[in-house]
Amino acid sequence: MILDFQSNHLTTVEDLGQGLFRICSRADDALFSAEILLDVKAPALDIRKADLVVKRDVLGIIPDPGPAAEKLIGVRVGPGMTKIVRGLLGGPAGSDRISEMVLEAMEMLVNALTVPELKKGMDSGGLSTKLEMDGPRVFLNDVLIGEETVGIMAENPRLKNSCAAFSDLD
Amino acid sequence: MLSYSRMKSIGVQVQGPESRVVSGVLEDELYGMECHIQVSCPDFTITSVQARMKRFTTIRCPRAMETFARAEGWKFDAELNGKIKKEIGRLGCRHMAVLMVDCCRSLARAEFARELQTAQKNDPNLDKKSFIQDFLGKYASLSDYLKLQ
Repeated sequence: MILDFQSNHLTTVEDLGQGLFRICSRADDALFSAEILLDVKAPALDIRKADLVVKRDVLGIIPDPGPAAEKLIGVRVGPGMTKIVRGLLGGPAGSDRISEMVLEAMEMLVNALTVPELKKGMDSGGLSTKLEMDGPRVFLNDVLIGEETVGIMAENPRLKNSCAAFSDLD
Repeated sequence: MLSYSRMKSIGVQVQGPESRVVSGVLEDELYGMECHIQVSCPDFTITSVQARMKRFTTIRCPRAMETFARAEGWKFDAELNGKIKKEIGRLGCRHMAVLMVDCCRSLARAEFARELQTAQKNDPNLDKKSFIQDFLGKYASLSDYLKLQ
């Protein structure tokens, strides 16, 4: 079956060293294409540089986000960022599509920072598994973080509410 | 050094005048997800969901599978986005919910793009702003998912 429509989105987080992270994101579909770049500095995780470029806007209705990018300088990746970014970039005078891309890029930095925590959990509390839903010839989940470690990790502020697996523990 | 990467790819099929199938794949360091959603037209109701968590992190993650079929019967309306985030994301898997929301958006944009292309063929000088208004009038239920601007 031939596809009628395609949408592709790639976001990368690069550790540039000395606490500086560069997040690049590109989204493409038949109607729209945009690229964003954010430089974020730890430990405050504040945005130091932001470039927002619309590459294709078939309808011609997305305002140039370039000038709005300046407003992102100083915004921190963390609680409250959704409201702030939507307020700065979204709405009738802005672009909800661009604001969603920026938020997703910021979220990917959070994910990048949680990877070491999950690796630790995998190393200390990983269980060998062969699930029925996995395989049957190639198993992608040969090790999973076990219940006990999940409980311990749920108390880690970096992971709390990051994922359904680390919240609502019964 | 690259420390994280996420790829999402979504495709929409037209399977006759009354059916669409949207397929999504999400791959990042932590998770591999795929879902296929069948939607009836013109009422834009989710009729079937086939979703697979390919790669995940904890022994709890597979429990999320129980929530995915909840979306069957849900209509494209103002509530759908919130229902996916709440009932599939919070109770099941946030990553699958993200993918499903993106699939819904792609389906709405696919409907728009197809009609736009047809309209432009018929009228090379088409007024796009009028076309948008006409489309939103015709398909009000898709308006929350188009994200045109």
